[in-house]
Amino acid sequence: MDKNNTDKTEKLLATAQNLRWQVGENFHESLMESIYSDAARIADRAVKVDDVKKKYDWDVKIDKLVTSRTFGFPLMFLLLAAVFWITVEGANVPSGLLASLLVDFLHPVLKDFMLSFSPEWVAGFLIDGAYLSMAWVIAVMLPPMAIFFPVFTLLEDFGYLPRVAFNMDNLFRRAGAHGKQALTMSMGFGCNAAGVVATRVIDSPRERLIAIITNNFSLCNGRWPTQILIASIFIGAALPAHIAGLVSAGAVVFIAVLGILLSLVVSYGLSKTILKGEASAFSLELPPYRPPKIWQTLYTSLIDRTIFVLWRAIVFAIPAGMAIWLSANVMIDGTSIAEHFISWSNPMGLLLGLNGVILLAYIIAIPANEIVIPTVLMLTVLTAGNPELGAGTGVMFELESQSAMAEIFRMGGWTALTGINLMLFSLLHNPCSTTIYTIYKETGSVKWSVIATVLPLIMGLVVCFFTAQLWMLFAN
Amino acid sequence: MNPSPENCANCPVHNMGNLKKLGVDMSDYDYVIALAGNPNTGKSTVFNNLTGLRQHTGNWPGKTVTRAEGGFIYSDKKFKIVDLPGTYSLLSTSTDEEVARDFILFGQPDVTVIVVDATRIERNLNLVLQVLEITDRAVLCVNLIDEARRHNIIVDIRTLGKDLGIPVVATAARQREGMDELLKSIEEVASGKYTCNPYRLSKVNPGIRKAVERIQNEIKEQFPDLPNPRWVAMRLLEGDQSIIDAIKSGELGDLKAEKQIHQPETIQN
Amino acid sequence: MSDPLISLILGFIIVSALMAFFFPDKGLLAIWRRSAKDSKKEALEDALKHVYDCEYNSLSCTIRSIAGHLHTNMDKAAEVSARLESMGLITSNNQKLYLTDEGRSYALRIIRVHRLWEHYLADHSSVKETEWHSEAEIVEHTMTIEEADSLAAKMGNPLIDPHGDPIPTAGLELPELGGVHLNELEKGDIGRIIHLEDEPQAVFSQLIAMGLHNGMQIHIIDKRTDRIIFEANGEENILAPTLAANITVKKIEDQSEILDDFTPLSSLQVGETGIVKGISRALRGQQRRRLMDLGVVPGSKITPELVSRAGNPVAYRIRGASVALRKQHSDLIFVEKGE
Repeated sequence: MDKNNTDKTEKLLATAQNLRWQVGENFHESLMESIYSDAARIADRAVKVDDVKKKYDWDVKIDKLVTSRTFGFPLMFLLLAAVFWITVEGANVPSGLLASLLVDFLHPVLKDFMLSFSPEWVAGFLIDGAYLSMAWVIAVMLPPMAIFFPVFTLLEDFGYLPRVAFNMDNLFRRAGAHGKQALTMSMGFGCNAAGVVATRVIDSPRERLIAIITNNFSLCNGRWPTQILIASIFIGAALPAHIAGLVSAGAVVFIAVLGILLSLVVSYGLSKTILKGEASAFSLELPPYRPPKIWQTLYTSLIDRTIFVLWRAIVFAIPAGMAIWLSANVMIDGTSIAEHFISWSNPMGLLLGLNGVILLAYIIAIPANEIVIPTVLMLTVLTAGNPELGAGTGVMFELESQSAMAEIFRMGGWTALTGINLMLFSLLHNPCSTTIYTIYKETGSVKWSVIATVLPLIMGLVVCFFTAQLWMLFAN
Repeated sequence: MNPSPENCANCPVHNMGNLKKLGVDMSDYDYVIALAGNPNTGKSTVFNNLTGLRQHTGNWPGKTVTRAEGGFIYSDKKFKIVDLPGTYSLLSTSTDEEVARDFILFGQPDVTVIVVDATRIERNLNLVLQVLEITDRAVLCVNLIDEARRHNIIVDIRTLGKDLGIPVVATAARQREGMDELLKSIEEVASGKYTCNPYRLSKVNPGIRKAVERIQNEIKEQFPDLPNPRWVAMRLLEGDQSIIDAIKSGELGDLKAEKQIHQPETIQN
Repeated sequence: MSDPLISLILGFIIVSALMAFFFPDKGLLAIWRRSAKDSKKEALEDALKHVYDCEYNSLSCTIRSIAGHLHTNMDKAAEVSARLESMGLITSNNQKLYLTDEGRSYALRIIRVHRLWEHYLADHSSVKETEWHSEAEIVEHTMTIEEADSLAAKMGNPLIDPHGDPIPTAGLELPELGGVHLNELEKGDIGRIIHLEDEPQAVFSQLIAMGLHNGMQIHIIDKRTDRIIFEANGEENILAPTLAANITVKKIEDQSEILDDFTPLSSLQVGETGIVKGISRALRGQQRRRLMDLGVVPGSKITPELVSRAGNPVAYRIRGASVALRKQHSDLIFVEKGE
């Protein structure tokens, strides 16, 4: 650009700068006002409402109902409970089918096939390690998610979920969060990674980060089975049969509610400390109700959420399966790496009211909470020196009968405290690697990913430690 | 792309260089279409319908966070379509709005399709009027027209089209209603068969009008071929750094380049 | 197995120690990081700023006043001013200190960083307004002018800081502010606050606590030698004239500019209609823009439509859409009640 032109641009920018001082800070306001007054005129000419009375008749009725003092909250809890019930009930059968197909039937077939032409360690590594963990993740994860997400999405498409956010906002505002966090939390009960993705609907930077970091406090689909199993073995079994079921179910609900409370407390703490430097802007539009397109919704939510999350989980589960198998099969001085680690970490585990097996299981099963229990069982029989109880060295397994699993836990030296602390630790530990990766993708920041990972882990260690020591103090 | 000057009624106007900078690969495509709109207007459904892709679309504000791209062929022309983030406005400092604003201004898409919710036209017009300040090649897609009917809201498409000076199409993207007509309008604007005469803000507040006009005149003097001097003036008064940089680097002057083709006086040169 | 009681006590001590060390903002690590700054540079820059303030307010500066400003003794102050003089930033004449041109632009650079950072905190963070100034006091010594320039660019080159002070431009010019102090208005006058002095902190906190902010319209009800009574936002406030001097106002002569009789949006009942008159200046940054994007602009018709289960937020019909607003925001939107 030649000199003359440069001078002209400089002059133009200087004029603009001077005029900015004259029009002052109100420029934006005046402009918006002008635009909207034109918009109103155009809309007035082009849009006619046929019959004012009928306009929002149906919508208004639903809105009155969902925000009503008497029915608002019960309706919400009922709907959410129904979603969970449909998920749990509906997933049972297909989960069982998938497990018997992929684990019980296909696993030995594949193993035999591999053994027919390759050495044992290759077959073990690939089939017992990689394949089995993938099969496990699919069998446990796919059915509930394939039910939960579409049902949840139907409610979303209908327009009900923004009303839930609207009703819950008062509570979340007090915790420094956004009402929509109620929904990302609910989504987290299905899968934390999906819950983190769902925080996109929160358009305020600070509140979105809060929702992302605290999503892990929602007990996800992969952790419910752990909770239920441990509660019925260690809490239910200690009680008379007629109340055992009720109390162990109560214990699981207690853990879930504890998670909700902690997520509110942590939200409050975050908003007052490390997140006060982030901007915040609240807005919540209540869209009109729209009859959902059921097939379209099923299709897109399956593709978009279920397959998306499942794919990420599989990608992380395969190497983990390999690592699990290797840890149990690679020997140093005649003992496996796993046993070395377990005996080394056992004292710390006991201090936390857990044990070395659990610590190792949570480290190598980081990709998916679904494989924690199978890994724990495998490691327990390994360290107890009874691998014949399981499915082979380094092979994850679960048993049909609860009492048989309880037997294995007892053999591993588990007490009621171990059970309780495992339930607590299952709620309060780092998110699975799929979720961590998703958090990184969504925030684009290492700092927030690390905080979201480490914060619940530290809380878990602290809570377990104090529970254990108090237990020991009073139990003795 | 090197269109011959005499045959310019139907040659593309998009700014190749800037599109490349914005990360849009235009090889193999004839036209680039930008898709703008408020959150939760069914913009993604329109996008999916046009491209055959399946992106999840919910009854929620703010689903599309990253920019999606797709393509389609209509009447032997290849269109690239870029789904911009859903925004309420183009005037703020948020990243989403910056992305949408800069794409329309610097990328100079051949057509900008603005998707609005037929049940909430007035609010949506805010964005429409802003887009029309930047570009004069736009198509308005009045989506969710089925919902409007259900609520007894009657949208007078012809009046709206006349007032806004651009093609207006009523659609119900979820039912694929009106999509053919939308494609036809897009093609007509892209190829220059339809010349838009877009509505521009009539009554800017007296407090700021003088300032806007003064800068506008200086801009016109320096960049006589710029299609949207008033928008640039308004952005300068908001202190928009990307505009200031574009003026300093002379990039703003480039925006006339392809546009020039449509101006009769440049043909005389 | 160790004794649980001892473990508990040990655990408790370790957790508390870690908390005390790592706690955000108040922990030892945070305090240490804050104090590990270049105190020498800071003293020099603070002194320079002081000399600039003197010049701006047409007062004269001495080594004694620097000592007072830096809360230090005369020896240290003399050392600082000698250093500034040797750097060519100030000159002394007859015990009085003056800025050189270079010193003036150095001071303006610090002020630019300070005010930009205050603007950033006000509009792009959730930091409370009582903390803006003290945070900026730290950042002004560490942020380079280049960083400040790119921050300004990102924020759309703001003109004035949240207290109403002009931000020096990138070319280091400082535009005039204008206006008069509140204690110079007479009974019956109407004015608009254009600046709240943020020092001393105690006075500023008091003004904030009274709900005062820039852009607010005030009406002097009574003025006596010992106090000024004025109405702001429908509430009566009393201030001593010395405190009132911390408020700068622009007198409103043009009657059409006077907003009268407005009510906060939050006071509308379901079914009532209001016309938006304005949004309080206390709503800033993204939140303010978001509201305007959604159609909360002067002239918009607005009707409460639906109250949430807990009574807050409330959904309003604005420009044909239904938008939920929290009470803290609807308190700051002013409407004129319609029919």
